[in-house]
Amino acid sequence: MGTFTTKNPGNQPVWVNTDNCKACDVCVSVCPSGVLAMRYEKHSTLGAMIAVEHPESCIGCNECELSCPDFAIFVADRKEYKEAGYSFAKLTDEAKARQEAIKANKYYSIEQGAN
Amino acid sequence: MAFNYDKYLRLEKMPTLWCWGCGDGVILKAFIRAIDKMGVSQDDVCVVSGIGCSGRFSSYVDFNTIHTTHGRTVAYATGVKLANPDKLVICVAGDGDALAIGGNHTIHGCRRNIDMTMIVINNFIYGLTNSQTSPTTPRGMWTVSQKAGNIDPTFDSCELAIAAGASFVARDSVIDPKKLEKTLLKAMEHKGFSYVEVLSNCHINLGRKNKMLSAIENLDWIDSISIAKKKYDTLSEEEQMNLLPLGILKQDSEAEEYCEMYAEIQKVHQGERKKITQDDFAKKI
Repeated sequence: MGTFTTKNPGNQPVWVNTDNCKACDVCVSVCPSGVLAMRYEKHSTLGAMIAVEHPESCIGCNECELSCPDFAIFVADRKEYKEAGYSFAKLTDEAKARQEAIKANKYYSIEQGAN
Repeated sequence: MAFNYDKYLRLEKMPTLWCWGCGDGVILKAFIRAIDKMGVSQDDVCVVSGIGCSGRFSSYVDFNTIHTTHGRTVAYATGVKLANPDKLVICVAGDGDALAIGGNHTIHGCRRNIDMTMIVINNFIYGLTNSQTSPTTPRGMWTVSQKAGNIDPTFDSCELAIAAGASFVARDSVIDPKKLEKTLLKAMEHKGFSYVEVLSNCHINLGRKNKMLSAIENLDWIDSISIAKKKYDTLSEEEQMNLLPLGILKQDSEAEEYCEMYAEIQKVHQGERKKITQDDFAKKI
C-alpha cells in the first residue's frame, strides 16, 4: 500500500516516493542534467533504488515525472516554486557531462562506487 | 505542488501490479491528466477494460469501472453508453484484447460510430500470458508460440479503424507523454467513436528474447519504428514500409453519431414520431 507524497517536502525541486519506485531507470534516462541516479539497495527487488543526487541542477523540465509509470517521482510546480523564493537551475555543460557519465555507468550513480 | 493524482486513484491498490518501466502506467497518468483537464465529475466517467495487463487499468482509477470478459470491452461499453448517453465512456484494451479476441466487437463499434473513446495499448505481444504471438507482433521476433521466429504478417489497427468507420483515429506512443495527454483529451472531447492506439513497451515479455532487456532499450526500439505523421507523408513508399505514423490520422466531426439516432428510435416507440425512413440519413448504404 503506497502512500503518496505529492506535497513538496522542504521546498525540493524534485522528490521521490521510494515506496512506489520499482527501479526501472526510465526517469534517469530522460533527465537532461544528471539530477537523478540509481543507487545500490539490497532491500529493493531489483537491487537498486532511485536517488536525487544533484537537486541544485534540476531545470524543472518535468520529463521524469511524466515518464514515471509508478507515480513515484514529482517535480515542483514552476510558479509555486518561484513564489516560495527558489528557482530552477539553467542547463550547464557540467550537468550534461554528468548525465553522460551516469548513462555510460548503466544509470547507476557515479558517486556511490561499487557495492 | 506537483500534479496530484490521488483524487483519481484507488490508493489502496497502489503500487500498481505492472512490471517496472511498463508503459501502461504512463498511459494511466496521461489519461488521468486528460480527464482532469476536461473537468468532468468522476461520477460521469465510466472506464471499461478487458483481460490482459491493460485490464488492470480499470482497477486503479476511481471512476465507475467495469472489468469485463476477454475482448468484449466495446460490447459492454456500448450497453453502458446507450443506457447513459450523457456519460463519458472509455474502453481500454490491449492489442490481443482489441484486435484478436475482440476484433469483431472493435470493428462494429467503429462502424456504429458510437460516442466513446477506445484506448488500445499496443505492446506488440500477449504480455500477461507470457509472450505468445499477437496480431501486432513484428515478423521475425521470438515468441513462446513461434520459437523459430514469428512468420505472421502484422496488423495496422489504425487503418482497420479508419476503414471500419471510426470518426477519430489517432496513434501515439508512451515516449512523449505530453503529446499523448493532448491526443487523449482530443479523443475524449470528440463526438463519435474515437480510436487511439498507444504504442507501449513490454521489455519483460517481448524484449527478453528480442535484445531489448530494459524498458529504455524497448522505448528506443519503439522510437525507431514510429515517426510523426507530417514526416511520414513526405517519405517514399519504400521508406514508409517499416514505420508507423504517429498523430491524428482521421478526424471527422460531421459523421452521424449512434446515440443520437438511437434517441430517434426511442421517440418512435414513445409515439412522438412515425417510423424512421431512408430519408433520415445522408449516407444510406
